[in-house]
Amino acid sequence: MPEVLIADDSEFMRNLLREILEEDHQIVGEVENGVEAVEAYKDKEPDLVMMDIVMPIRDGIEATDEIKTESPDANVIMCTSVGQEEKMKEAVKAGADGYITKPFQKPSVMEAIEDVVPS
Amino acid sequence: MNVDIQSLGTFNQLAHEGAEQATASMSQMTGIDADVDVTQITLMDRGDVGEALDEQAFVGVEFDFAGELSGQTALVLDEACSETLTNALLPGDAGGEMAKSGVEEIGNIMMSGFIDGWADYLETTIEHSPPTYVEGIGKEILPTAGDTMADDQVFVFKSEIEWVDASVDFYIYMLPDQDSLTELMADHADAESDAIPVDKLHVFNRMTQQGTRQAAENVSMMTGIDVEAEVSQINFARIEDVPKQVGTGRYVGTAVEFTGLPSGFLLVLFDETSAKNAAEALMPTGVEGEELTDQHTAAIEELGNIMTSGFVDGWANVLQTSIDHTPPRLVHDMGRAIIDPLAAQVGQHQDHAFVIDSRMRTDDVEFESEIYALPNDEELREALEELAVERAEETDADPEELFQ
Repeated sequence: MPEVLIADDSEFMRNLLREILEEDHQIVGEVENGVEAVEAYKDKEPDLVMMDIVMPIRDGIEATDEIKTESPDANVIMCTSVGQEEKMKEAVKAGADGYITKPFQKPSVMEAIEDVVPS
Repeated sequence: MNVDIQSLGTFNQLAHEGAEQATASMSQMTGIDADVDVTQITLMDRGDVGEALDEQAFVGVEFDFAGELSGQTALVLDEACSETLTNALLPGDAGGEMAKSGVEEIGNIMMSGFIDGWADYLETTIEHSPPTYVEGIGKEILPTAGDTMADDQVFVFKSEIEWVDASVDFYIYMLPDQDSLTELMADHADAESDAIPVDKLHVFNRMTQQGTRQAAENVSMMTGIDVEAEVSQINFARIEDVPKQVGTGRYVGTAVEFTGLPSGFLLVLFDETSAKNAAEALMPTGVEGEELTDQHTAAIEELGNIMTSGFVDGWANVLQTSIDHTPPRLVHDMGRAIIDPLAAQVGQHQDHAFVIDSRMRTDDVEFESEIYALPNDEELREALEELAVERAEETDADPEELFQ
């Protein structure tokens, strides 16, 4: 099963994503900010990171930039409530591979993952 | 046609002083101790004017006025308030036609005081018609819209009058003819550098309405509760009146500070019952008891986060900029206590504030939510200067176009 790291400051959203993903994916970690996301990525090297944008300490775009700079083959999907075009462009520039906006339902999450990490 | 922030402030002050004069006249006639609680100018759809009056029964007095400023005013009071006033004026003889006549006369004297301040400031005369006694439920009490369409945006002045030791619903509404008001505002815009084109303010109001609809859709999608955007309007009020825009009950919700153009604060608030209903609709399993638990507040925090994004993303997309916001901070307190520190922060740089006030609700369960945005007024003016009116509909961005 593909290994997934979830980075979101909301416990509620981490739970929701875990419920959606755990049937077909192995959740290797859950973190609450961008600093922890970078550290957890280095430690676990998961197949995929589901990355929120608005997080304390360090946001998800900065964390994605660092992960992709050090590991260009990393797969990162921005999983965020932010639906701003300029922010999406920043995410593209940081190297994000996909982008889904909250609120989401299971099919749109699975579709985004399939686009980035085909089964 | 431009309006400038300074003129809005002056006109708001005029309306407030007029209402104070009117209230002083009433106190002098009746001995009732009263004061003006809040005065604000609101840009809203004509069809939404008076929505806050709910379905309550009111009596009132209406006038037409004409001159350099023309339009209609209405004194609106609930029935208990009317009875107290007429009893004070006509002890023991407060029924029937005499009561109506008493209300009419109080209205006449109060509204003359209200209008006179405007005439003095404009150094002109403003004539008003004889008073007309009116009765009605909710917004029916207000003057009819005439040729104005329900979705035409209008500036409305509203003052709330409070009585010492009594809870009453007592208001002064002024509905100026929009051409007359905007011409007056343009004439008095003495600092071109802080002028806002009226059409851009209208577009911005439409953007906030779209933001409210998006936030309501997000709630519906997350909770399964069919929520509808109800009212969205832009209020302009003195900083000290900003906290009075929010109810006195206890609320749960989120506060964020947003940065970009404009910067400011955004609050998403639910009354406690609505918060509990919305949170439980999000939870996979039921929660025992009546109290709000940590699970409820975690769910509300995420709901507030998603509603915040739904609300401001459209602004960013139309303005072709990005608006960042801090992670949501949970708030749970009396409404005014929640907004007071935010107003104080905004008030460090300005005397008046625009308050974007949006509401959504549903009839399915007890659910109401309010969104308040408090932008920095100078930055809002700059943002509107940059606003391309033809992009007003470009509120949505499609990630699939960028992530192919």
